[in-house]
Amino acid sequence: MAFDQEAVLRRFAQDVEDAHAELTELDQRSGDGDFGDNLRGGLRGAVLRFEKGGTSAFGALGEEFLDEVGGTSGPLLGLLFTEIAHALGSGTDSAAAFGAGAKAGLAAIQRVGEAQLGDRTLVDALAPAVEAAPQGLDAAARAAQEGADRTADLRARRGRASYVGDRAKGEPDPGAVGIALFFRAAAAVAEPDVQNLGR
Amino acid sequence: MSLPFHPADGDPVAPALRGFARAHADLVELHEKPAHLVARHRDPARRVGLVSGGGSGHEPLHAGFLGRGMLDAVAPGKVFASPHNTQVLEASRKAAGPEGVLHVVKNYTGDRINFGIAAERLRLEGIEVRRVLVDDDLATESDETATGRRGTGATVVVEKLLGAAADTGLGLGELADLGARFAAASRSLAVASRAQTSMHTGEPSFELDAGELEYGVGIHGERAQKSIDRPGTEQLVDRMLDELVAGLPEGPGEVLAVVNGMGGTTLLELYGLTDLVTTGLERRGLTPAAELVGTFVPALDMAGFSLTLTRLQPEWKAWWAAPAVTPAFPRTIEEAA
Repeated sequence: MAFDQEAVLRRFAQDVEDAHAELTELDQRSGDGDFGDNLRGGLRGAVLRFEKGGTSAFGALGEEFLDEVGGTSGPLLGLLFTEIAHALGSGTDSAAAFGAGAKAGLAAIQRVGEAQLGDRTLVDALAPAVEAAPQGLDAAARAAQEGADRTADLRARRGRASYVGDRAKGEPDPGAVGIALFFRAAAAVAEPDVQNLGR
Repeated sequence: MSLPFHPADGDPVAPALRGFARAHADLVELHEKPAHLVARHRDPARRVGLVSGGGSGHEPLHAGFLGRGMLDAVAPGKVFASPHNTQVLEASRKAAGPEGVLHVVKNYTGDRINFGIAAERLRLEGIEVRRVLVDDDLATESDETATGRRGTGATVVVEKLLGAAADTGLGLGELADLGARFAAASRSLAVASRAQTSMHTGEPSFELDAGELEYGVGIHGERAQKSIDRPGTEQLVDRMLDELVAGLPEGPGEVLAVVNGMGGTTLLELYGLTDLVTTGLERRGLTPAAELVGTFVPALDMAGFSLTLTRLQPEWKAWWAAPAVTPAFPRTIEEAA
């Protein structure tokens, strides 16, 4: 099924605007509190970059996060977006290509960041989403949300949250929540008939 | 209190890069956005670009080793901070040879991640990338952490040997494997009698009593895991050599020794230490085959020194002796190996 990259970008940007306060609060518990700002700033920049032309919506998303967004998770998200842009650009513009790109993005993120499932990072939402993607983007979005929810019970072994140990437990990892927002936006655009996306 | 002589605008790195590029305009060119430097000359036989980088404050590492026989491009970060992935990406694009790029990375989380992100971007562009991780610091050897040993003084050894090997026309895979062997054959240990000066306060970044020594410091001005009562210099070198020799993997009896100043140590001291190191190696049945003495991998102006030992395979000696035309490596003509 074809879907509209620009619509996904705009939906994702809007969802992140709405979730900014929540993401900031989550990151203040486990990190340095800049994740909400970084994600929102990256999406605002990506929309501007796309509107300037010369690149696909996901290409703009990838470049913006790789080149401009601070922290460790910003450029790692950029790798995910760039791999999806690459898969969509080289194949058909379909949910299947989206899933293949997300799988390549997960592999790149794990090569670079060395995080495993259960380390309380964005991998805990991305890996289940990639696994569920062959059943459709709605399934992937639900898997991402469930994975993000499960990070609330995990102790961080990577990333800045590892410095605070058990004190971050009880709330989900903000990077994983960001991944869930991204897949929810993709599913809402690609499969608008399936409305089982409540959180 | 005594503030360092940096320009007042708060970023000491950018003006220093401009000054460096000006002073060595025959050897390097500077690109400022994003900051990276590229060597002007390379051996035509070289098929793989050698790229390194890392935080600033360790000069002459890495830009001082740009040039024929050593590195092709470098990405300097802010003081003690990893370069951004875009710096590594641009440096690598310019340095890439027909067989791609080899990254020489000191083992720090930030450097690993930023070089790793650049490597992923290069692969998407069709440029082959491999990595050599330098992890020689014996003081951070531990089974309890996943981060591994830090990368310190052996970096200059790895960069020199790899540069000469690359100029024989070896391919990317061969060079990556060799670089891993160079790093694996090397161990370092560093001590400090005074912390580096804080750029903000002009005071030492940590306090140390006159009779105390930080034993096992890194290159980012952090304290060591232990402070010891300061022994005599002979006893100190003996203790360091005992630990280094015990920590080295098995291998040939010929060793290369780097006696490196941490930024606030005189050559008079470093050469005196070199005499103790070479005689100490001989007493332990090892053959000091070559020495590199000077300030190559400091931590700003920390008073202290590091010792690096590398077990030399017979074929590596010619690579160590090969010419290197760079701003800082002290060799420009062929020496007898």
